[in-house]
Amino acid sequence: MSSGEPGPGAPQGDPADLRLWDVRKTFPGGAVAVESVDLRFPAGELTALLGPSGCGKTTLLRMIAGLESPSFGRIELGGEDITDLPAHKRRFGMVFQNFALFPHLTVAENVAYSLAIEGVAKPKRRARAEELLDLVQLPGYGARRIGELSGGQRQRVAIARALAQEPSVFLLDEPMSALDAKLREEMQVELRLLQQRLGITTVVVTHDQREAMTMADRIVVMSNGRAEQVGPPQEVYQRPANRFVAGFIGKANFLSGTADRGEVLLATGARLSVAPAANFRDGAPVQVACRPEWTFLASEPGANTLAGRVAFVRDIGQVREIHVETPAGPQVCELPFSSPARPRLGDAVHLFLPPELIRVFPAQDRAEAA
Amino acid sequence: MTAARPQASGGRRPGFGAVQALLGLVLAALCVAPFAIVLVVSFGQVVEGASWRWALSLENYLRFFVGLEWPASTSFLYLQKLWWTLVYAGLAAVIAVAFAFPFTWLTTRQSRRIQTVWLVFLLSSLSLSEVFVVMGWDVLLSNRSGLPMVFRETGLTDWLQSVGWFDTLRDWGMATPRNVRFKTSVFATVLTMSYLVFPYAVILLYPALSRLDPAMLEAARTMGARPFTVIRTVVLPAARLPLTGAALLLFVYLLGAYVVVSVFADPARQTLTITIYESVRGATLNAPFGAAQAVILLLTAGGFLLASLRLSRLAEAKA
Repeated sequence: MSSGEPGPGAPQGDPADLRLWDVRKTFPGGAVAVESVDLRFPAGELTALLGPSGCGKTTLLRMIAGLESPSFGRIELGGEDITDLPAHKRRFGMVFQNFALFPHLTVAENVAYSLAIEGVAKPKRRARAEELLDLVQLPGYGARRIGELSGGQRQRVAIARALAQEPSVFLLDEPMSALDAKLREEMQVELRLLQQRLGITTVVVTHDQREAMTMADRIVVMSNGRAEQVGPPQEVYQRPANRFVAGFIGKANFLSGTADRGEVLLATGARLSVAPAANFRDGAPVQVACRPEWTFLASEPGANTLAGRVAFVRDIGQVREIHVETPAGPQVCELPFSSPARPRLGDAVHLFLPPELIRVFPAQDRAEAA
Repeated sequence: MTAARPQASGGRRPGFGAVQALLGLVLAALCVAPFAIVLVVSFGQVVEGASWRWALSLENYLRFFVGLEWPASTSFLYLQKLWWTLVYAGLAAVIAVAFAFPFTWLTTRQSRRIQTVWLVFLLSSLSLSEVFVVMGWDVLLSNRSGLPMVFRETGLTDWLQSVGWFDTLRDWGMATPRNVRFKTSVFATVLTMSYLVFPYAVILLYPALSRLDPAMLEAARTMGARPFTVIRTVVLPAARLPLTGAALLLFVYLLGAYVVVSVFADPARQTLTITIYESVRGATLNAPFGAAQAVILLLTAGGFLLASLRLSRLAEAKA
């Protein structure tokens, strides 16, 4: 169904971009998977759809691929409405979570499948398959069976296969989830380099924030079928739009309080200055978020400090994590391993929350309310 | 401290092995004994008056391949019966699988609930005996009250005559000078046999087709394959083994079809099952010759199974 004409507040950008206008998806039975999503996927960029399981990111990707029809809204590529265009006519390259390689074909036949469908002559297909296998660093693997490949090799074949038809948009649905941790990290870098080399508009679905941060030019954080925040990885990390994003991307300490003359008055009576001043009406319930690496140990009590007692300490590679029980609730502080401060279990400490690094949100945001 | 040694039989009690072996022996005896008796009888000699005696004679086998009067004259009557046995079973098995494949494929695309309804329906249709099915088709295809009447009353017969196809049907033995005729014919025999095994074909194909990874089909679609191309290039190759297996199983099952052939096949084109029955219990009363035919039928089926196994292994090795 095509509707959702671009409105006045519609996102602007390159005419070659992939755009979603008010895209919604409700499954038979009434389950709402995607709720009114307006997004722009800039041409040549890699965008990550990031969110927890069931947030609608895969459904959104499948609608882009043409494997699901939106219940409402419009999908455009380069200004052309492709909402009702079937998947086989869109021909977006797609890598599936389980790679979905054809076990009855060899590696080269898998890679050249789209070319065979197009009716490209066999020698040309073979040459293109070899070229793509070189690109994904699998030269000489063309004659092998899929069953003979490792997980990482299968992923490369799936990527090569999706790129064979020179797609205008490259879609990847949790492409790293079947790989072990080490290989996943390697492939994230490789995939990003490949995408940059080819300059292809790419959309990656992932629930792994580290993966999204590593690969993406822009991240779309999704929750309950909505896009909660869209922006470059650092912006999303440094300036989360709401409590859900602050909690989902990286770690955060949360404190409850009320807004009071641009500051936050905690339930314990302590006041926290915020810079710039929190823009809430006085008395409005708010949540304060501060990341563990932005929470410091203070030598003595003062402004924006919380008194507490060390409840747990652990060393995680480069950082030492200090868990502190405060009257306002448990807080975590991360210190560089080289830091001279070495608090021990039971020590009384003071935590300093820098005003410029504190984020304040309404007590209950949309994602939580849902 | 010495660690306890794990039991070789994966933790089973020792008595289990003995019980399993005993059950195996009983099953083997039950399978082998009837076949051994038939094999022995096939080398026996008929005694006038409906009996036979032990012997080690190849007379029955010779009669099957070259006739009773050999070497004075040669008859291939029973080889022809074997040929028709293979033709009916082969055609019906292939047709049943050919129809079952799209049906099963479309069923697996439905919701779980609709799939269950279809499977229950098919399973319940299996409870119909061969006799019941044949009776139904006998009425349906009978010249006086079945489809031929429908052809005549609806003007289809006239239309066939007007377009010239009626003569073709007559050449095939499927029409009298006045109307179409389905009984007795190869068509009616194969049609009823296919109908008989269609539910089996669906049930044999269903597990493989329902387990097919939907992502593979979607991957093909994103690479430009239209729905029919997806079936041709992904589903059919992936289901090649189950399709071959189902066709083979049904073929071997249909080699023993009796009632269908006795009702629908032209007497000159009947199968070994008919002549075996006639030899053992029917008019001719020649148990050794009946046994020889049964052994040949069994060996033929075995030969086909072995050949298919070899072919599928070759195909796998090639793949």
